[in-house]
Order: sequence, then structure tokens, then C-alpha cells
Amino acid sequence: MRDAYIVSAVRTPGCRRGKGALAQTRPEKLIVQAMNGAIEKAGISKGEIDDFMLGCAFPEAEQGLNLGRIAAQIAKFPDSVCGAVVNRFCASGLEAIAISSLRVMSGWSEVCMAGGLESMTTVPMGGNLPRPLPDWAKECPDVYMSMGITAENVANRYKITREQQDEFAYHSQMKAADAQKNKYYTEIIPTNADRYVEKPDGTVVRETFVQDFDDGVRADTTMDGLKKLKPAFAATGSVTAGNSSQTTDGAAASVIMSGDALQKYGVKPLVKIVAYTVAGCKADEMGVGPAYAIPKLLKIVGWDLGKLKTESLLIELNEAFASQALYCSQQLGINDKKLWTVDSAERRINISGGAIALGHPLGCTGSKLAATIVANMRRKGVKYGIESMCIGGGMGAAALFEICE
Amino acid sequence: MVRRIQKVAVIGSGIMGGGIAALCASAGIPTLLLDIVPFDLKDDEKKDPKARNRIVSAGFENILKAKPALFYDKDMDSQLVQLGNLEDDFNKLAECDWIVEVVVENLKIKQDLFSKIEKIMKKGAIISTNTSGLPLNKIAQGRSKAFKEHFLGTHFFNPVRYMHMLEIIPGKETKKDILKFIAEFGEKVLGKGIVWAKDTPNFIGNRIGVFSGVRAMQIMMEMKMTIPEVDALSGPAIGRPKTASIKLLDLVGLDTFVHVATNCYELCANDESRAGLKLPEFVSKMVEKKWLGNKTKQGFYKKEVTPDWKKIDKVINYKTLEYETFEKPTFPCLDASKKAATLPEKMQAIAYGTDKGSIFMWRTMAEMMIYSANRIPEIADTIVEIDNAMKWGYAWEMGPFETWDAIGLKRSVDRMKKEGMKIPKKIQAMIDKKVKSFYKIEKGKKMYYDLKSGKYKVIETSPLALNLANLRANKKVVKENKSAAIIDLGDGVFNVEFHSKMNAMDGAMGEMIAEGLMYAIDNGVGLVLGNQAPGMPGAFSAGGDLGYMGDMAKNKNFSGIDTMISDLHKMILALKYAPIPVVAAPYGMTLGGGCEVCLASDRIVTHAELYMGLVEISAGLLPGGCGMMHLWQRYVDAIPGNVKIADWAAYLIPALILVAQAKVSMSAQEALKNGFLRATDKIVFNKDNLIGEAKKEILRMVDDGYAPPAKKKYPVMGQEAQGMIWADMNNMRIGGYIPKHMEFIAKKIIYCMSGGEARQGQLVSEDYLNKLEREAFVELWKTEETQKMAAHIMTTGKPLMM
Repeated sequence: MRDAYIVSAVRTPGCRRGKGALAQTRPEKLIVQAMNGAIEKAGISKGEIDDFMLGCAFPEAEQGLNLGRIAAQIAKFPDSVCGAVVNRFCASGLEAIAISSLRVMSGWSEVCMAGGLESMTTVPMGGNLPRPLPDWAKECPDVYMSMGITAENVANRYKITREQQDEFAYHSQMKAADAQKNKYYTEIIPTNADRYVEKPDGTVVRETFVQDFDDGVRADTTMDGLKKLKPAFAATGSVTAGNSSQTTDGAAASVIMSGDALQKYGVKPLVKIVAYTVAGCKADEMGVGPAYAIPKLLKIVGWDLGKLKTESLLIELNEAFASQALYCSQQLGINDKKLWTVDSAERRINISGGAIALGHPLGCTGSKLAATIVANMRRKGVKYGIESMCIGGGMGAAALFEICE
Repeated sequence: MVRRIQKVAVIGSGIMGGGIAALCASAGIPTLLLDIVPFDLKDDEKKDPKARNRIVSAGFENILKAKPALFYDKDMDSQLVQLGNLEDDFNKLAECDWIVEVVVENLKIKQDLFSKIEKIMKKGAIISTNTSGLPLNKIAQGRSKAFKEHFLGTHFFNPVRYMHMLEIIPGKETKKDILKFIAEFGEKVLGKGIVWAKDTPNFIGNRIGVFSGVRAMQIMMEMKMTIPEVDALSGPAIGRPKTASIKLLDLVGLDTFVHVATNCYELCANDESRAGLKLPEFVSKMVEKKWLGNKTKQGFYKKEVTPDWKKIDKVINYKTLEYETFEKPTFPCLDASKKAATLPEKMQAIAYGTDKGSIFMWRTMAEMMIYSANRIPEIADTIVEIDNAMKWGYAWEMGPFETWDAIGLKRSVDRMKKEGMKIPKKIQAMIDKKVKSFYKIEKGKKMYYDLKSGKYKVIETSPLALNLANLRANKKVVKENKSAAIIDLGDGVFNVEFHSKMNAMDGAMGEMIAEGLMYAIDNGVGLVLGNQAPGMPGAFSAGGDLGYMGDMAKNKNFSGIDTMISDLHKMILALKYAPIPVVAAPYGMTLGGGCEVCLASDRIVTHAELYMGLVEISAGLLPGGCGMMHLWQRYVDAIPGNVKIADWAAYLIPALILVAQAKVSMSAQEALKNGFLRATDKIVFNKDNLIGEAKKEILRMVDDGYAPPAKKKYPVMGQEAQGMIWADMNNMRIGGYIPKHMEFIAKKIIYCMSGGEARQGQLVSEDYLNKLEREAFVELWKTEETQKMAAHIMTTGKPLMM
């Protein structure tokens, strides 16, 4: 099979659900700006794209119909550019990259676009009106379980303490604050956002403004502050709003090409997509997914677990919850604090913060983290990058990227 | 010219001013709330409108946050309040038809304010002060005749929404029509009970209140009693609130009380019992230490938290000013009071016992009654004003003279004499004339003894204020049993009055409702379900009588429970489908079965204070009187017919949550939002008018040509809803938010409310839904857990979560 390369990977800022800067902006507008940003950075024309694969975890209502195709039209891609939506919940955006890559690798496409989108303000987690199958909900409701409860299950079953979770969360915030200060998030495209403002005379007008930073980062987070938060999902639990990912609005997109296309358009690749896999686990502790998916990924490329400790590797381990991220890192043998604390020169996991600080816009996250890890790999000059996340319903996904010189 | 109040101004945004503004806005009147510009503005803030409104904004925030709530519907009513400051917005006062001043109790400040207002006010606008003690004639000094003609005192009590009293204090020159107008406005629009006071120190409520509170402390110290003892004796045992004598001052604020009491002492130089108005010194010391009560988290009482997070109550020792733990006080007279059935019997048990507690209470009560009698005509013309003031302003169940009647006029005066107390001449004259009581009912009219003329006079009330006790005395009871009575309201309208403890529903009550309905069908035009139990807010009906059902369950008489529910369904549906209009008139606690009879009626005419909910799950049960079906039908009726069935789930879920989480509305407005009330139901601000308004509603419905509802099938959400809720129950259980048996009950609630085995959108009969409800109800009683939960809430009043 041929190789597939990411030639551009961008994202909108991630902004808080409800109160954040993107809350009054329609999701279509977010993904359209990400698509146009990716095209611009790739330096090719829109018509070269064969197909657009969009990851979305709740593709209904405003995010419904076939937004892959609709977004391509709104973004003024020519009619020849197709589009589809793929849903693997929190790995949807990564799944879109994998599908697009496979199309290129198989020779069925030369240039594809992959993206991810979730406006959690617009379509709430669980959808507007969840409708579980009554019979199955009565027999075994685990696949419908709240994600927070699965995080509690992980914490309880594997004894991840509140203090450990809060500490992990604290470092996520500090790393993100540091990256923001140093302008490391080069993958962000300044994004036009809407807001609806009532004027003193009562008329309501829609205003547009530019948002270019993640607005959920809390530089003033302290361990003491985290300690005081009440459990969010269980009366006597340990998972809080502070040590869980934020619910967020955001979109991301990347352009994926074959080697032939690189030559044809004279484009420089950023990374090569080496491998991708998914692995299943119990639904009621879905957060352990990466602990299965990453070893499976390594097996595909012939690495042993020890290789995770090598210096030439960055890891983006999605922080759906501190409890599951910590547990997975334990299982993978990469739980040494120096690998993820803000003050460590050797840190290689979520080096510029994770979803606890930056937000987890569900279906967008896979695509968003790809943009981030590519930026980090190139900034730090690290050869390999692994992106992995847990997935509702009981799965994990993992992908391996290799830097292009 | 017809006088209307289209806009109100309240000046002063403290707890009282804010409370008055919230009440006016809740009554639907646009309200301007003003306060001063802060004195300490920095230079760059002097032109900033936000900074200039800082005080009024902060006051308004406190009103929004107040607990218990001051607005009836915070989101909507608060929009009617316009904020401003006394400099930039002063001219807006010219738009207002009624201006209420509630600023700091400083004569000079008030005088200056009114002199400015006089210059800009709308011609003919009404001006009032809410001063709690400053003389009106001094406040209005220097104002024009026209101003004085429109000036009066309107004294509200805190918290304004909940305290029924409005003291009206006429100025010397206030026009009669202004007084009449504001009294009617206060009564009908603001729902208050009017007490006519005079321009005397602290008016009526706080004059008697100060004497009563200060004397309780003085006698306590003299008899070497403790604060918890005083409060245990002077609370519910004699029909007064739990806050009794001294705990009340923590609620009011010690600083406020000291201010009011000192004012009273200073201004009442000729009071024959002036020493009884002088506060003990230790109270002033507490104020100096800023131990002001609830607002500073410590006053006479203080809650402390132990290192292991247990809350303990402490009370101040007035000798050492140290906080100490205390035991619940016991006295033989308290036990006797608890056993007594009626309030007069309770009062007699407390007043005429022989233990120390009894002697204490006898002294305080006797002195309070004598003091009150001596205040006529000084502070009020009649005993009725004084009794109403203490009932409506202090939430006593009986005022001083009603108390006197309750413990027996002759008997108590004999004892007073024996103990050397000075009997007021007017009272001695009553005894000499062999008058036995201050009140009596004659020809259906309640009469009071007029101390001035020495004659009984009729108590004049508004024609809407139908009083069931008066009708009862006037032999209007058609029939009655231990739990309820049928009372003839006149004009063909009959009323079923509940009168069991907390108006809990039992078999006897059910029978009387059924009989009352039959009687009204045969002999009249409509039926009201209404009662007038005392209390603020009191209980229309606190739910079903669990004891009876619990006994049946214990004896495994489940077919008995099945029959009972089946009979209940018959009664409820008879109300619903009766050929005559049935109007329920709830107020206060309207829970469980009490809520279900309201849901079955054609219309609800409710007091604004309505705490309504289907709370059966707290007792281990689900609603057994068609409550779930009727709640869902209300939701369905509110959904426009062109909404797609798939979208109905968005309606069912909130309805389900109301029942599964036992949610209770905190006002009639909220009950409307919760879907218990319909838009056609009526909210009445004045509780005294509730039965009268309900009767009026019946006559109007009859006049309009009443047609009873037709029996129809209703669509249900079926198993689709069960899938949605069962999946979420899983989270709640694992999260520790719902214990096992309550999850079991909640699932049964969902099953019944969504129509059992039906599919989404299927039309099902009422009979089918009632069968589901009855089966689930009986099945729950068969479980040990439900029996335990029911027994627990019955004995402790608190739900057992299991």
C-alpha cells in the first residue's frame, strides 16, 4: 500500500459550552472555517479534494443531515467534492483521518480532507432527546451510561484517588497556561464567531468577532481550589468538574495526500500516518480503552511497550477524565510523573495540556488532537507521536504518526 | 376621577423596601426601586451609572437571593422592578401613583426626602412611610395641606411576602377616600390583612410584641430560667411559631429589635408598664459584640460544627455571655399541652399547670393580656385590631384577647386578682356585667366586645372574605364527620371543609367528599373544596392518612388496600365528571392526596402561597388518586395538537421528574410553571378571600353555561419513555443519588405515567391507567421497604431514603 501524509492540520479554538466565545455560533460555521483554514495552509485549491470525511459524535439537529457534504457546499468547495459523516463518539475525528488515509493508501483517492466537529452548546451530550431501546435499557443499560459514572467506576475499581486526579488536572491547566503564554498553539486558526446583542433601544443585532484562543484554560487553578469542588456525578465520588474534561465547542480539519500528490502539487508533508486501530472494553468503564488500543497499535507496527518510554515519542492521551488517563498511563507503564508534570523537562504526555484545560469537543477531539500533536512534534522535533482516546460504549482508539523531514 | 395604581415607587432597597418592591412586582405592578448614590464614589466612578446605582443594585441582588423567596416568580416578576438612584432618577417619582418611603429611621432624612418629593410628585399621588416607629406628624412636618391629605403610614412586616399584616396609620389630615383606597388595594391586590393603627410609638404589632418579648426576658431572669426553656414554653405549645419568644429575635436581628424596643421605651414615658419595655442589659452587650442573630450567624443561638462535621446547637448564657450546649427542655405542662386536642385546651394546660414552666407562662400571658387591654383606645380602637396584629404580624394563632377567651375570662381574672395584678377597669366592668368572652357568634356574624362602648359589635369584613367558622356557628353545616364537613356557602354553592390533623385525607374525608358532591348535585349548582386551617401558610391537605393503610398492610389485607384505591378512584372521577362545576381552593401545603383532589377538579382557585406536589415517593408510595394521569393530561392539553408525538417526550420527562423526585412548588406561580395549574386557574393574593373567590368562580362557570368534561382517551408515551428513564436511572443509582427501593418506585411511576405496555402515541383509556396505578400501589404496599418508609415518615415527619 501507498503512504498517506497529513499536509495541514488546523483547529478553531476550543471554547466553553454555553458561556464560551463560540456558544452563539452555528456548528456549520465552525467546521467551514476549519476546512478553509486547512486548504489555505495546504496551499492547494478546493477542487483537488476528492472527499471530506467529518467526525461528529451527535450528528443530529444542527449537526444533522449529512453535514460532511453540506459543509463542503457552504465552504464553497466545487460540486465535485463529496462528503460524509462518521461517528465513533470521541474518536470520530481520528476515525475520519483514518478513513481518509486508507482511501489514499489504497489508491482510491489522491487528496482527502478529514475533520471533526462538535458544538456541545448546540447539541447537548447525549443528543437532544436520547431514545434508548426500552427492552435493552431494562436488560443492560451500560451502553447508555453517563460518561461521568464510567469515570467513577474506573476510579473506584482501580483505586485512582481524588488527590491523584486533582494533581493531574492541575498540571493539565498549568501546561496549557504555559503553552498559551508562549504561543505554542500554532495550529489554531483565528475564528469568526457570532454573538447576539440587545441594544439599549431593544433591537437585537448579530455581531461578529474573532476568537483566537481556547477560553477554558484557568491559569489560576490551585490544588486547594480543585480540592474544594464537589463530586459531579456521584454523591460520594471523586470525579469533579475540575478533574474532568470540559464540555466544549470546536472544529478541526486536515488535508491528507498521497506521495504522488505531494509531488504533483509541490506540497511539503507534516507527518505520515503510520497506523490506526481500535480496541473494545467494558462499556461501564469505557475510560480504560487506551490501555487496550495502544498495545494493539504497537503490535501492528512491531513495537514493544517499552518503546513508549523512548525520547523520540510524544503522546496525546485524551483527558476525558483524570481517573481514566491516569489509569491508562499506569497500565502502559508511563505513569512516571516526570512524563506529564508542568515543571518537568522530560514531559512527553500532553505536553501542552489536555482536555481538562483545553476542552473535549467530542467528535472534534480526534481531529483537534491530531492538529495539536503535529504542531508539537514539529516544534519539538520529535520523530513519533501517538494519539489515543477512550470512547463511550467501551472502546479505545490509537494512531501513530511519524514526522516528515 | 378613578384612582388607579399603575406604577409604584419604593424608596430604600433594604430587606423591607426590597420586600415591598418584590410584592408589588409580583402583584403585576411596575415598580421603581430607588436608593441613594454611594457616598464613597471615586472620581472616575462619579459619572458611571453602574457605580451610582451600586447600593440599589446590591439591595436588589439580596432580594433576588432571599430565602424564603420574596418574588413569587423570580424570573418574570423581577423584570417589573426598575432600579435607580435618588439623584439621577428622582424625577421618575413623578410618574408614580404610590410612593412608599422605606429609608433609614432618621427623622431629618425622612423630612428632607419628603420635602423634595413634594416638589415633583404627581398631583393626587399617595405617599406613605413604612417607618416602624417615628411619629407620622413629625415626618410630615412642614409639608403642604395637599401633601398631608395624601400621606399615611403603611407598615409591612418582614418577610413582606409571607407576613399577612399591613398596618395602616392615618395621619391627622389624611383624606378618608385615600385611606379607603389603600386599604382595599392592600387587601385585594397585595393580599394583606389590614390592621388600623394610630400614630403611636411602634403602632400595634411592635408595641405589644416588644412588651411581650421584653417581659418574657425579664421574668426569665427573675425566675432563673433559660432561653431554651422560654422558647419551648412560648412556641407551638400555645399556638405560636417555633421561633417562639427569643429565637424570633435572632431572625429579626438583635440590632433591629433593640432599635424598636428602645424607641418604644423612650417615647412611652406615660406607659403604666414602662419598665416592661426596658431591655435587659445583656442584650445591648450582645449588640455591641455584633452578635446580631442569623445575619451574623450568632445571636441568642449559634450553630457550631464539630470536627466530625456534626452540627450542634448552642445558646447564650445571659449571665456569662458564653455559648453553651443545651438539652431539650421538659415541663409537665408541655406534655399536657401536647396531649390536648384543641388550642384552647393547650393554652389552659400551659396557663393553669403547677410547674415552674406553667407559672412562668401564666405570668407572661396574664401581663400581656392586661397590657393589651390597657392599650385601648391608645393604640387601637378595638380588640380586633390588636388580635389581628399579633396573628398577622407575629404569626400567633390567637391574639391576646382570643387567648384570654381561650383560658377563660373569669377564671383568669380571678387568679390575676388573687395574685395582686391590677385589673383594667374596662375588664372589671365586663366581669361585673357578667360578660363571659371577648368574642361571640350571633346569627352567623362574628361579634367582638367593644371595650369603649361596653357592647358587642359585628366584625365588618369584606363580602368576599367568607369565613367557614362563622357559617358553622350560623348552623350552615349540612353534615359532618370527624374529618370533614359539608357547609352551605349560599347561592346553591356547597363547600366540603377538611378538618383532620394537617387535613390528612382518610376514609371519612373521602366519604364526606363523595357525599358533599352528591348533595351539591341534588340541591345546588356547584361544589367548593376549601378549608381555613390556621397557620402561615397552613395546610390545605398534607396528603393521605398513612396509618390506616399501614395497618392494612401489616395485617396483609392487600385486597382492602385495593378496594380503598378503587373507591378513591371512583370518588376522584366523580368529582371530575360531575354535572356541576367543582372548584378546589388550595393554599399552603397541598401534597399527595390533597394535590390529587385539586387535579381532579374543574378549576383551581388558589392562594399565591401554594406548596403543591405529588410527594408520595417520600413515603414509599406513588400517587394513588389518579394524580399521575391527571398531571400528564394537563401536559397533553397544553401541547398544541400539531406538535409531533416524538417531541412529546420533551414534555413527559419534566412531568415524570415532578413525581419521581417529589418536587414541590414554592408558590402558585411555580405550580403553574410545573404544570399542576392550568392557565385558566386563578391565583388569589389574599387568603381570607379564597373561599369567596372560589364561590364566585363557580357562579361564573354556572352563568357561562357549565358543561362537564367528556371522558376521552389520551395518548401516552409508552415504552419509549421507559427506555429513556431506565437508562438514566442506572446513572442515578450508581451515582448514589437514588437508593434501591426508591429506584424501584420511580420505575413504577414511569411505568404508570407512560401507559404501561402501550406504544408511543397510543390512545389509552382512563380505566386502563387507573388499573396500572392501583396494581402498582398495592404491589408497593406488599414490600417491606414501603411499609418501613411509610411508618418512618409518619412517626418522624421525614422521609426514609432506602
